[in-house]
Amino acid sequence: MNAIILSALLGVVMMFSSILTENRTIIRNIAIAGLLILLIGNLLNTYTVYSFNIDSHNMLRFDKFGLFFNSIAIASTLLYAILSGSDVVKVGNYPAESFALIFFALCGVAILSSYNTLLMLFLGIEIMSIPLYILTGSDKKNLKSNEASLKYFLMGCFSTGILLMGITLLYGASGNFNIESVHSTSNAVTTSYNYGILAPLGLILIFISMCFKVSAAPFHFWTPDVYDGAPSVFTSFMATIVKAAGFIAFIKLFSIRMADLGPSSSIILSTIIIATLLVGNITAVFQQSVKRMLAYSSIAQAGFMLFALYGNNDLSSEGILLYSAAYSIATIGIFAILIKMKDYTFDGYNGLAKKQPLVAAANTVFLLSLAGIPLTAGFFAKYYMLASALKSNGHAVLWLVIVAVLFAAVSVYYYFRVIQAMYFKEGEAETTEISSKFKAGLVVMAILIILIGINPSFLLNWFYF
Amino acid sequence: MSATQIIFWFLSALALVSALMVLLSKNPVHSVLWLISVFFAISGHYILLNAQFLAIVNLIVYAGAIMVLFLFVIMLMNLNKDMEPQKNMWMKLAGAISGGCLLMILVSLVRQATEIGGKVAEMKTGNIGLIGNLGKVLFNEYVVPFEISSVLFLSAMVGAIVIGKKD
Repeated sequence: MNAIILSALLGVVMMFSSILTENRTIIRNIAIAGLLILLIGNLLNTYTVYSFNIDSHNMLRFDKFGLFFNSIAIASTLLYAILSGSDVVKVGNYPAESFALIFFALCGVAILSSYNTLLMLFLGIEIMSIPLYILTGSDKKNLKSNEASLKYFLMGCFSTGILLMGITLLYGASGNFNIESVHSTSNAVTTSYNYGILAPLGLILIFISMCFKVSAAPFHFWTPDVYDGAPSVFTSFMATIVKAAGFIAFIKLFSIRMADLGPSSSIILSTIIIATLLVGNITAVFQQSVKRMLAYSSIAQAGFMLFALYGNNDLSSEGILLYSAAYSIATIGIFAILIKMKDYTFDGYNGLAKKQPLVAAANTVFLLSLAGIPLTAGFFAKYYMLASALKSNGHAVLWLVIVAVLFAAVSVYYYFRVIQAMYFKEGEAETTEISSKFKAGLVVMAILIILIGINPSFLLNWFYF
Repeated sequence: MSATQIIFWFLSALALVSALMVLLSKNPVHSVLWLISVFFAISGHYILLNAQFLAIVNLIVYAGAIMVLFLFVIMLMNLNKDMEPQKNMWMKLAGAISGGCLLMILVSLVRQATEIGGKVAEMKTGNIGLIGNLGKVLFNEYVVPFEISSVLFLSAMVGAIVIGKKD
């Protein structure tokens, strides 16, 4: 409860801070301080030191998994604010409001990691999405940003409509909003009739809508345009923290209700996984712009995260936490460097290693982590995902795991193109001014990635603490 | 015939006639005005059934907000005779079939519902539609989602200002 209440309050604080000061550095520092308070508040809640005690009538349930994910999301946002905060305040005329919207989105994240009824699922998804529509369009003078915002808004509305339709059907089937399939005994109508078809139908609609939100193929079409058109700083936020939260929501519901989809559930899931991996990886190969490549790579990473649904055991819940941490840190780092580049194409990176050796080295670590090379966090993240699927389903899914590994090999190609451009190509990579504080932040993140990659229990021990 | 019955028959007749006029009138603006009359008649029925809150919300949301939107859209499109889009046979057929399906479902529902057969609506009894009950549910069982939705509206308002304000 701490995270939900504090993030909403801090959002209001950010809104008021724009009345008091116009200075963008101060606004950024207020936001960083706010994120620190939020992180501490959530940690106090996780380790049961102190939490606001509000009776939610079982609509929110705070378990260790959700609270730990909150910490990961808030800590990633903190890293993001420290690294790219000075770029956030540059976009548009309302820097404080941008941070306020980020805090509101975090409120949605905290709801999604703890919801216990479909009503809260809906509220959480909306609270998380609406700030993003605005952040996408916050660069008002840029036509591409406007287009992306409108596209995102329309697609988001459609998928929310589908979600609501699914929730309605589930409500019709069981007579309540619980995420478990409990029939409320008080409702005489539902117990006397058998509405067998309603529950699977509703679940499929919710499944489709959640696939939209996490941009799994074939519902991914909005992703490249939106990620490409949005201001790069906000793409970074959208592609990491928000996407991971979408997965947490997805997994929370379907780890309980997957069986209700019927015997075809594993076919549906494996089709979606393969389609997502295929579309994400193959299309990323053909991109010329690094930003667009990262958009497709985020689709490809979503394919791996979907394995957590297949696994549905202890390993997969550890895995998705590890994955969201590894993926968020690496992607935030890559985007932070991308924002500093003047040219977003692969050629823009030519010869970066000579001009900025430290930045290039950190970028290499992040890219290796996304590709899943051993000794980086990304390797263990992918390993946990595949292992959890094998643990639950045995050799029946071995073929799917092999396909996933093959696609991971494909992904190495386009991640290494950036590394190749930085180290082995001649050129003058033009960057905006890079401060030494920024470099220090990058180094810290690279060290984090390697630490988790050497010993994932470094992160996961906190989960069981 | 008591006063309630007179009001009931009057409102029913008004609703049916207005609904027919929505379909029959040639001018789309007249259609919308007749639709407002339908909503008023239905709100009257709600009040007879002791559902004041529903009646008021029906007026505010449908007769107020949505009808204004309808009128705006119709006026912006500036419909007139020669600009009227041509409706082909298939469109008419599809409309007739989908409308007929809805009618069939409604009729079959009413026929199957044996519990309500031959009974009259109970006037001025029951308190399910009163605002007090809604408030009690909203502020007891659903207080957390109710309060949290304020964050949703707040972020939407911030967005409206960020997007809409002139630089």
